[in-house]
Amino acid sequence: MTDINAFLDFTQLNSCTTNHDIVNLCNEALQNNYHAICINSCYVPLAKQLLSKTSIKICSTVSFPLGAMSTQAKAFEARKAIEQGADEIEMVLNIGSLKSKSYLSLLKDIIDVKLAINGKTLKVIIEISKLNKNEIIKACEICMDAKVDYIKTSTGFTNSGATFTAVKIIKKTVKDHVKIVAAGGIQDYETALKYLQIGADRISASQEIKMTKAQLSADIYSKIER
Amino acid sequence: MLLNTYIDHTLLKSTASKNEIIKLCDEAITYNFFSVCVNSCYVSLAKQQLQNTSVKVCSVIGFPLGAMSTQAKVHEAKTAIDDGADEIDMVINLGYFKSQDFDNVWKDIEAVKRIMPNHILKVILETCYLEEDEILKASELAIKGGADFIKTSTGFGTRGASVEDIKLMKRVAKDSTKIKASGGIKDAKTAIEYINLGAQRLGTSSGIAILKGRISKLNY
Repeated sequence: MTDINAFLDFTQLNSCTTNHDIVNLCNEALQNNYHAICINSCYVPLAKQLLSKTSIKICSTVSFPLGAMSTQAKAFEARKAIEQGADEIEMVLNIGSLKSKSYLSLLKDIIDVKLAINGKTLKVIIEISKLNKNEIIKACEICMDAKVDYIKTSTGFTNSGATFTAVKIIKKTVKDHVKIVAAGGIQDYETALKYLQIGADRISASQEIKMTKAQLSADIYSKIER
Repeated sequence: MLLNTYIDHTLLKSTASKNEIIKLCDEAITYNFFSVCVNSCYVSLAKQQLQNTSVKVCSVIGFPLGAMSTQAKVHEAKTAIDDGADEIDMVINLGYFKSQDFDNVWKDIEAVKRIMPNHILKVILETCYLEEDEILKASELAIKGGADFIKTSTGFGTRGASVEDIKLMKRVAKDSTKIKASGGIKDAKTAIEYINLGAQRLGTSSGIAILKGRISKLNY
């Protein structure tokens, strides 16, 4: 039986997050065998210290949550996070460039971060709550061109997170070329499962939203085995 | 009082397009605001729009969470200065602060100030997440780190500046460190109130409305 926890990125991204919160996050991730923890870049060294010799991956955000940092600054933040022990990078797309239809700058912004992290996993947050359908498709196409590993729906810092509709649009656009992380406001296992069934490969869950553990049959679990 | 010269004309939402930044700069020239305040990806564009004018460019750093690694903040600031920023508004590391890791709070600020000794550094405390005694402590740490200004808010937190915030910050800043009030300043009355309490700069997206309100009041 596949454990859904193995699909979860466990996040703690609030500005007031303390050392103590990060210790708790890492402990909970270990106890539940989550796939990864996702934190802001100032806490990568601490998380690395706590999770070395475990299989839990450390994912650092970059230019979070606005995506409006200069490309050079994004690439540097990403490179530094990897040097300090991050296994994965989650950068926010430059939404302003997308809105300006400056697609070349948008692509370069992603590619420069990708080049800075030496083959480590790159996830790009497209912040669907700020985009219309055409913009979601365009963002996905640019992410495909940049050969990113994952497209993530949301930062969790705007008024809404993942939607089934958006995940379906993303899946239809990227097919099997890019994986998908559904994020933002996912509060229970049933919803998480539904996202996995319609095409998400990973679920991002906040430490603050305690996912209610549902009794799920092996039959449902088997649907998400890949 | 020339209210316009107190104002950092601000546009920091993630969706801001090039055209909106160009408009922001045009408005800043028209109304002779002190500066435009933008995210670091738009510093070059703003600088270009404002060349041969007296309007300065202010870039935010580690914005709005302040939770970037110190090295990344330093690099973002350095790049912004290279791109033409005259001033830097960085966010304090609230997580370190809440962890009572005070040394790392001021060192984070000092590391940024060190690469820009001749430029103005404003440190955003994000007062909405701080108790009264924490506002005093955060002000002290920012000043210890080399802040030229202590600033109340990002505009992305649960509230903006308050009268109480500015009074507390003034107690620590005295006359040696300046104060920038920001977040939720939408009318001339509030703007003037903050200036009278000791704020030397105002961060707002409502600069034009504030000036128009001020002018129309004077006409009565």
